[in-house]
Amino acid sequence: MEDWRIYEHPILEFDRGNEVTIYLDGKPMKAYSNETVAAALYANGVRVFSKSIKYHRPRGFFCGIGRCSACMMEVDGVPNVKTCVARVRDGMHVKMQKTFADRLTPFLNMMNLSPMVYIKMFTKPGFLYEPAMKIMRQFTGKGSFPKDSTGYNSEARAKTQEEISTELLIVGAGPAGLSAAIEAGQLSKDVVIVDDKDRFGGQLIKQTHMFFSDVKYAAGKRGYKLANELVKKLSGMKTVRAFTNTTAVGYYPSENIMLLLRPDNTTLRIRAKKYIVSTGAYEKTLVFENNDLPGVYGAGGVQTLLNVYGIKPGKMGLMIGTGNVSLIVAYHLLQAGIDVKAIVAPSFRRVRGYLVHAAKVRRHGIPIITRHTIVKALGNEKVNGAVITKLDDGYRPIPETERVIDCDFICIGVGLNPAYDLIQLFNPKMVFVPQLGGFVPVRDKQFRITENAYVAGDCSGIEEATTAVLEGRLSGLHAALSLGYGDDSVLQKIDEYEWALKEDRNSSFSTAIRTALEAIPVENIEEVIMNNVRTGS
Amino acid sequence: MSELDLSPAQRGYYSLHELDQENILPPENKMRERRVAVIECMEDIPCNPCGFVCRANTIRKESLCKPGVVDWDKCTGCTLCVSVCPGMAIFCQMILDGKGQVTVPYELLPDPKLGDSVELLDRSGTVVGKGRVVRPTYQAKGDAHPRWVVTVEMDNPKMVDQVRAIRVLGE
Repeated sequence: MEDWRIYEHPILEFDRGNEVTIYLDGKPMKAYSNETVAAALYANGVRVFSKSIKYHRPRGFFCGIGRCSACMMEVDGVPNVKTCVARVRDGMHVKMQKTFADRLTPFLNMMNLSPMVYIKMFTKPGFLYEPAMKIMRQFTGKGSFPKDSTGYNSEARAKTQEEISTELLIVGAGPAGLSAAIEAGQLSKDVVIVDDKDRFGGQLIKQTHMFFSDVKYAAGKRGYKLANELVKKLSGMKTVRAFTNTTAVGYYPSENIMLLLRPDNTTLRIRAKKYIVSTGAYEKTLVFENNDLPGVYGAGGVQTLLNVYGIKPGKMGLMIGTGNVSLIVAYHLLQAGIDVKAIVAPSFRRVRGYLVHAAKVRRHGIPIITRHTIVKALGNEKVNGAVITKLDDGYRPIPETERVIDCDFICIGVGLNPAYDLIQLFNPKMVFVPQLGGFVPVRDKQFRITENAYVAGDCSGIEEATTAVLEGRLSGLHAALSLGYGDDSVLQKIDEYEWALKEDRNSSFSTAIRTALEAIPVENIEEVIMNNVRTGS
Repeated sequence: MSELDLSPAQRGYYSLHELDQENILPPENKMRERRVAVIECMEDIPCNPCGFVCRANTIRKESLCKPGVVDWDKCTGCTLCVSVCPGMAIFCQMILDGKGQVTVPYELLPDPKLGDSVELLDRSGTVVGKGRVVRPTYQAKGDAHPRWVVTVEMDNPKMVDQVRAIRVLGE
């Protein structure tokens, strides 16, 4: 069997841990203890992880960071496990959630009786729900009920609930969250930081290039080293409690409580005086034929496979999008010895990212094709080519300009959306700002969105790591101040960071972001909240 | 349509002609005197390691977001700026004994060794000739974010303005 792992890399050394064996539908496979299930399967050449519920189309790895749910499988009897964030264990049994109804589904669909319709039925009377669900799940491919799990037993569940109180809870341990925790932890007595991944650092851990920035901050540092530095600093602080593998699943304003899910299916409830949300962003995708085929990835997902787990996503790639993320990922692919066929710019007439990043990939022979977009991915179970077409001045495809590009994976790098799901539960005022990537909360100059919640980083507007770090530091300081900590030196620090943030956004690339950001903050957040309540919006 | 008819922003790099117009490339007499740095960074990126690393105080940056400008009279050709530039946009050029030398940052495999033969690539990735590695250093300053800084030698001194990347072939 072909091994897709990268053993020699110009920048990174991969710490894979011990060799273990996992079983896919009974077939043994070599894995390493630091790999996730999805990474291990990928390294063994497995590309199809599940089938879609309605049309049973093949599904595989897309985002690689536990956001998109394309990679769900049955792991050790538990259905719907996101395999891209679940670590492997020796002797683990992984199963594809196939159903015996796979062959029946086309007929059900023809009669417009998709199994998904039934999943919402039988909720009343209640005693019918569980047996009916057991049967219906057989049809949908959503897996079967675990035979032995505490999650479905109310008695056992009661014992697994834990409640803790803290002064400040930070959700999301990327550059913003970590910086906030470090600043707040130095001032206040009790800070809790949680993240849904098995390690802190957010998306920094897969950045192998050197960062632009001021030398006072992260300049010239490679992202993963910056993450290590931040985590090291944080782990030395006694005032900060850190929880990995802990997903915030809900916030209840009336009770002021954050509900979190731990990996063993237990819950954790955290009551905090102040909250900082730094949940980052989701990758956007594009609409084209077959865009759901395994082998069509988010550019960030490819970066995770490459630089966190050291696994090749394929042999020949096509990159869609010319923003900084796309250009950088193309370079990372080059470093891993993968052939990048071309970088295609969907509808823009110029390279969207910095020209120095573009020049870096151009001089190694990767062509950039502007005024083109992808119209179709070729292949049945996985990608084996792509069709691109030229666009006219109105961004419409020009007929008969299609051409096939030979590739076995396609990266989509067309931007990010702020992950505002958790933010919304605080009932802030949300506004749609395209320049910032989508819906963002209205905040005041202290990064406050409601009287007890703050935001920092990409979840409040898509920017980059340096600004996320600075925003995190500022929100951490403001939160600590509002808790009654700090003195004049804190104000000095705030001035310094605010100045740095302003300086950082002073480039012509940030003009749109700057104007958009200047339009959002308000003087008095309480007033916004009051109006919000009154109008009921 | 040739690629050179496009704008730099469409093509992803600046052509020789465009760089010449912007006074980015050093004059030949300076390159005959000693090794000098070339900064091919023309956009306002919030970044400043080049200005801080320069020992001779040669690289001037008006502000964080303004591109650095080299004073070729003062530049000593120490190549430190090549090793720190996050955009990999700084190179060094020299003409020595009728041969051209170009220093490039290098973050690929295989590792370069002294005397290795290399393919020389221009800004568009076209192979323009062959050269030899004359100085491979693994350079890092301070808290170490090292990368290879490789000086290659080529027979044609006119090519120093063109060569911007290498493909290491081995001995």
